[in-house]
Amino acid sequence: MSLIAQTLADGLVLGGIYALAAVGFSLIFGVLHVINLSHGILVLIGAYLALITSQALHIDPLLTLPLVMAVLFLAGYGYQRLLIQRTVDRSPLGSMLLTFGVALMLQNIMIWLFSPDMKNITPTYAFASFKLGPVTFDAVRVSALVASLVLLSCLAALLKFSALGRVIRATAQQTLAARLCGVNVRHVYALTFGVSAAFAGAAGIVIGIILPFSPADEALWTMNAFVVVVLGGVGSPAGALIGGLLLGVVNTLTAQYVGPSFPNVTMFLLLVLLLLVRPTGLLGHAFSASR
Amino acid sequence: MKLSFASTVVLMLAVAALLAFGPLVLPPFYVRVGQLMLYSAGLAVAWAILGGFAGYASFGHAAFIGVGAFAAGLVENRASGLSAPLLLLLGVTVGGLCCAVLSAAIAYPILRLRGTFFAIAMLGVSHVCAEITNNVDFFEGSLGLNFPSVTPSGLEPATFFYWLYLVGGLAVLLIAWQIRRSRFGAGLLSIREDEDTARMLGVPTERYKRLAFVISAVLTGMLGVIYGHSLGYITTDSVYRDDTNLSLIVYSMLGGMGTLFGPIIGAFSLVFITQVLLGRLLDFHLFATGLLLVILVLAAPGGVLGIARTVSLRRHKVTTAPAE
Repeated sequence: MSLIAQTLADGLVLGGIYALAAVGFSLIFGVLHVINLSHGILVLIGAYLALITSQALHIDPLLTLPLVMAVLFLAGYGYQRLLIQRTVDRSPLGSMLLTFGVALMLQNIMIWLFSPDMKNITPTYAFASFKLGPVTFDAVRVSALVASLVLLSCLAALLKFSALGRVIRATAQQTLAARLCGVNVRHVYALTFGVSAAFAGAAGIVIGIILPFSPADEALWTMNAFVVVVLGGVGSPAGALIGGLLLGVVNTLTAQYVGPSFPNVTMFLLLVLLLLVRPTGLLGHAFSASR
Repeated sequence: MKLSFASTVVLMLAVAALLAFGPLVLPPFYVRVGQLMLYSAGLAVAWAILGGFAGYASFGHAAFIGVGAFAAGLVENRASGLSAPLLLLLGVTVGGLCCAVLSAAIAYPILRLRGTFFAIAMLGVSHVCAEITNNVDFFEGSLGLNFPSVTPSGLEPATFFYWLYLVGGLAVLLIAWQIRRSRFGAGLLSIREDEDTARMLGVPTERYKRLAFVISAVLTGMLGVIYGHSLGYITTDSVYRDDTNLSLIVYSMLGGMGTLFGPIIGAFSLVFITQVLLGRLLDFHLFATGLLLVILVLAAPGGVLGIARTVSLRRHKVTTAPAE
């Protein structure tokens, strides 16, 4: 009993982080209809930035959050304006290949800069843990989960209540109508991309605290984001949260009860199953763009 | 440029015959590059039967290369006492059959997805196949699998496989060409242009795209069997490669999406660029490939044949849109 409780708890913690790592991907997909295959790279950039700055300034990695998010916001804004905008509204394959090309280039640059080895960020409380009933929680994992939930709520609030959020939602619903109402769509696209990149960077910090990472991991994080979006539904933080938690729980349950090397197999089977029974994702319309 | 049936056949055979002299005159390094070019071109055309004609761009065709190669290797190692040509024939048949079964089994759920969803779901298929091959002991994926030698005595293996790839590639091209000319091919093109309208007008879209998927998978798997033989020893990582998954799309984009010869042009030029021009810059390999992709998407979304078509249209002052 305590084993299953522990597995579920671990799954939920992991799922919160998957959700944070996927929410930016989901946002871009919902608003720009672009599959950003360089999303995983943005996550890793966040992790490496946090690693460097926390070591240089001797501060807790979570304190680098504002800096990392600001840098990635600007980078994302520029990236969208300079490159992605040219492929938006054309064939989806174009933007996919473009972002894949950028991912390859950045991955190569990261290998030059940081070596292909595994790195991890170790905060001072790395080995602290506490017990809640029969279940043990690591302090790192809990702080990572709390950071994820706080950030996801912030994004949800931003989209729901701020002027920027309203404009983003309007553009996602009806690009043409938004443009007629005076929305500068290109600017909104770029802002959305910036926000998405900032959240990818934040996810990178959180991931860096609890898991080792290397430049080759980018594909994994992009793939995870895609699965989370398909499971949960596109374009909303709530969908990302549901999808992320589901994926996290399924992953840990499989690793515990089937075998440590099979999470991807179950993940994919779950994906196919969901496509058969509920092709729009659990919340929202994951496939409105595909049909 | 419209050629008649007979002149197209003659032209294809003439080019193939010319290419067949390659290993006799080229230095060994270029024979290997030629092998890779022919193999890639064959894969590119097999991919394009689904990805180019029907517009279902797969991001996971390495799954079929891997399944074909591993199925063939496992069977051939158990079928001792057969002569080399029979062994190869057995391998190619078994590899093709396994791919047919796999693709037919996943066709229904996977082909319900469109566009990028299909592409990424196929990437998932390729990763899952790789993971199963690697983790289930029966498939020997993590240890690796040896292939029996099938090279006839008195021939260099490099030369033999060059010719094998040439024959395989030519066969794939002829099949793709016949599909393109047929009613089935026209149906596939209509799926690419507008699937819902095509279905409404009575094209059996479900059946057509499933058939195209299986044909494409089987041809890819058969080429994968030859690839396994030419390597001699394979592990999971050497056949389920993500760069193959990517390259197959890039070949078509580079040459011209949806055309018959575009994928071949794309495969030849990309292999030449990465193997010969960038061959000594291994550290820059990812970067250069990425840069090439970015430039390609931004500057020539229609590929080489797209540019050629635009130029020829301008020259002839044709005002109607090209009927792709």
